[in-house]
Amino acid sequence: MPDNIYLPQLARVASIKEEVAGERSIKTFRVEPVDGKLFDHECGQCAMLSIFGRGESMISIASSPLIREYKQFSIMRVGRVSSAFHELEVGDVVGIRGPYGNSFPVDDWRGKNLYFIGGGCGLAPIWPVITTAVAQRASFKNITVFYGGRTSRDIMYRAELEKLRESVDVHLSIDKAEEGWEGYCGFVPAAVMDKDPVPDNAIAITCGPPIMIKFVIQNLNKLGFKDEQIYTTIENKMKCGLGKCGRCNVGKDYVCVMGPVYSWAVLKNLPEEY
Amino acid sequence: MINIQDIRDTARDMLAKGEVRAVIGYRRGSRGMLAEPAFITDPAQADDLVWDPTCFHNLSLYLVEDRKFLTHVRKTANAPIAIVTKGCDARSIVVLLQEHYFKREDVYIIGVSCEGTGVVDERKLAPHLNGFQASNAAFDGDDFVFITAEGEKRLPAREVMADRCLECRIPFPKEHNAVFGEDKTGRQLAEPFAALTRFETQGTAERWDFWSHHFDRCIRCFACRSVCPMCYCEECVVDSITFPVTTETTAEDKANRIRWIERSAVRSENITYLMTRAMHLAGRCTDCGECERACPVNVPIRLLNNKMEREAREQFGFEPGASIGGPSLVASFLDNDPGDFIR
Amino acid sequence: MEKILDKKQIDDWIAALTDWDVHTPVLEDGIWTYQPVNSAVRGAVRLDHPNTNQSPKGFAFPQREIFFSFEQIKGEPPRLTQILPKEQRHAVFGVRPCDGRGVPRMDKVFTDHVEDPYYNARRKNVAYVGLACNKPPSPNCFCLSVGGSPVSTDGLDVQMTDMGDRYFVKAITETGKALMSVAGSFFAEPAAADQKQVKQVHAEAVAYPQRKINDPDGAPAKLKASFNSPLWEEMARACIGCGICTFLCPTCHCFDINDEVQSKAPLKGQRVRTWDNCQFPDFTMHSSGHNPRENTGARLRQRVNHKFQYFHENFGMHQCTGCGRCISGCPVGIDIVTVVNKVTEHAG
Repeated sequence: MPDNIYLPQLARVASIKEEVAGERSIKTFRVEPVDGKLFDHECGQCAMLSIFGRGESMISIASSPLIREYKQFSIMRVGRVSSAFHELEVGDVVGIRGPYGNSFPVDDWRGKNLYFIGGGCGLAPIWPVITTAVAQRASFKNITVFYGGRTSRDIMYRAELEKLRESVDVHLSIDKAEEGWEGYCGFVPAAVMDKDPVPDNAIAITCGPPIMIKFVIQNLNKLGFKDEQIYTTIENKMKCGLGKCGRCNVGKDYVCVMGPVYSWAVLKNLPEEY
Repeated sequence: MINIQDIRDTARDMLAKGEVRAVIGYRRGSRGMLAEPAFITDPAQADDLVWDPTCFHNLSLYLVEDRKFLTHVRKTANAPIAIVTKGCDARSIVVLLQEHYFKREDVYIIGVSCEGTGVVDERKLAPHLNGFQASNAAFDGDDFVFITAEGEKRLPAREVMADRCLECRIPFPKEHNAVFGEDKTGRQLAEPFAALTRFETQGTAERWDFWSHHFDRCIRCFACRSVCPMCYCEECVVDSITFPVTTETTAEDKANRIRWIERSAVRSENITYLMTRAMHLAGRCTDCGECERACPVNVPIRLLNNKMEREAREQFGFEPGASIGGPSLVASFLDNDPGDFIR
Repeated sequence: MEKILDKKQIDDWIAALTDWDVHTPVLEDGIWTYQPVNSAVRGAVRLDHPNTNQSPKGFAFPQREIFFSFEQIKGEPPRLTQILPKEQRHAVFGVRPCDGRGVPRMDKVFTDHVEDPYYNARRKNVAYVGLACNKPPSPNCFCLSVGGSPVSTDGLDVQMTDMGDRYFVKAITETGKALMSVAGSFFAEPAAADQKQVKQVHAEAVAYPQRKINDPDGAPAKLKASFNSPLWEEMARACIGCGICTFLCPTCHCFDINDEVQSKAPLKGQRVRTWDNCQFPDFTMHSSGHNPRENTGARLRQRVNHKFQYFHENFGMHQCTGCGRCISGCPVGIDIVTVVNKVTEHAG
């Protein structure tokens, strides 16, 4: 990290892809350093992205740590700073500082079956784990991805997910039936139950809207997954990213330092203030 | 002289019969003599109610909170809410009614008269107590009686009552459902706007120095706004951050929200904050004095609001909260409104 | 290093501190605030204040801190210029022990995990010259309940004790020694009687009754067990959601970071830190509209838990130092001592 923890490094927008259009649009940005190198990161960590004059936003790094040339972020347009991101063009320069937070203990999961369960924009924070596991495919047993959007137009990383099918079981779902949709119709927690994942030698990693995470975890418990086998990454409003400004304080933790990655065994003992 | 038991009995009866769903009043706090707001729903707690010179809070603020809560949970109340109300507080309720914040039948006003003595100003009282803390305060005719470790301390109310009480012409809740205590309307202590008039004997340069000094001191804790019943806006123009979003608020709304002032508590931003608040309260402020009392650094906020209220009185003959039924000043236009400034 | 200083010579000591900006409590506009001393004016420094209206946390953690400026001409990358605090030493006199204890608690926050360069740039240049409390300065003091004491030296560089016509002055740190050495000629050696008297004054100070947290050691566990207690909402019913309790507190440190823009094209502005407050309704509001702390009960619980449970779990000490300002300052009577006592009393 640089000497001044609050001073961002400059990064240039190398590419912008519109993942999801419409009201809750999602765009994927890849940023490269303007000078020197960007920091290294681990799966699950986040970075503070700045639009000077607008502010900063804490976004999960969606690219695998194995990729050095750029860092990828998928940002949903929800408010002030994210709207400013959606107005960016390729070549624009933003600020970036990080990496912040803890990471998924991917090394501990070698030799295990991995179930990834994502909803909406929640696929992005767990995407680095998915892509890293796939890049080191032989180290892991079965890999299954459950991912759902409200409608078929809300599904992000569509092309990448299709490509994953080569090495990974992919189950896509949408909330309500649509013409032409052959996959599961219903909420993600139900989509998971539908395929009856087995807890033996398995880890489940889930991310999505808080309500989805809640029911996914309930269902996983029903299926026999122990709390230590379930991992999630939570979201809180954040400002400093360094455990000082107090905004993301949950129980004794600052989520930007001790989180955002938590096993359910630990998270269930924290107050539900996220 | 008010017998507090009468107020308690009224509260207990109305709660027991279900005529009101709660009683907002005053009870003894845990910080020495001071009263604090009480929210009573159980008839058995009615005996907690007190009435003494430290009952300075403007409880009508909690009628606003109650209304916001009901709106948030999308419920309607099954019974009115009762509120122990001084003369000044009743004027606040009248303004809220004029602005249609709630209906008259939603609130049961248990009026209490300060009987002309007003309530105590802690800052004026402090020098009289020799550094001791008072454990009790009581009304007694034209006096306040305090108990400290040194014994009983009797003071003429006019020496330690709040400035706004000295200047008050109607120390009686004209609008009420029930009322306790004598009506001492018309009692003469200080002239209305006396503090403002005194202040304005200074020239412009001195006044600017005075206000610059205070605008530098404000720490922007927003206590003045938070304690004011009339500052009920969910989205406050001079708060660049607080913005009530719901799941339906669009990204556009959030992105387009203008930051009129910064969070920095520096002179330029504080001027904007305090002056804008005064302008937004013009014709609405009933001089309950809570903003100035709450201010942790003693900014003389009342002077700003009084300036606008004097304008309202002189230009439009309007007194906020004086009579129920009329339109509010800033929401109405009358044919004989002054127009000499229109060229 | 222990010395005696005649009260009449306090001005001389301060005047000798030419390398320092000296601040002492002054009564202005009805409140005591730290103001810079003008050494040309004699007799101004009195140190007979109760406690100051605001804590001295502002010397290392001011209400407003500029992080850096940014400038951008369209088509070019932005230029960032770091703006660190000026190098200037400050000596703060009259610091009460509760505020002194607040200093290491703030230090923990701003140096734990990573170091905050702005806080550190200021902190290393501030010396805290404390004044022991011969009697509680406020009816709402409760320092003894939270591991403190009216004669604590924790966080202070020098401790002064008022002995009537003179001060007993004790250096606690090397900085404190340096402050005292600068004015060596004004200090006298303490006699045996002085040593005896200061012990007596301290013993009387500690024996003075204060408000009491009934079970401070049991508070962390009991508060944890009371997370879902209906008492929180009941006790926060009157809360108006202002910032008095947090802004006056010696250990509250929440802050916001915003970009303040002076011009749009070319873009010119600064990234600025300002005090923030967990009691403001939108403090934890997500952009989605979800607010994890939706009501005053949840927010009051957060502040109390942070002071008496979460900080304790992380650092083994209460974050609250018992200064009582939040109690005295609250316009509607919310009283942290009553709150903690009531909740822990009813803990399941």
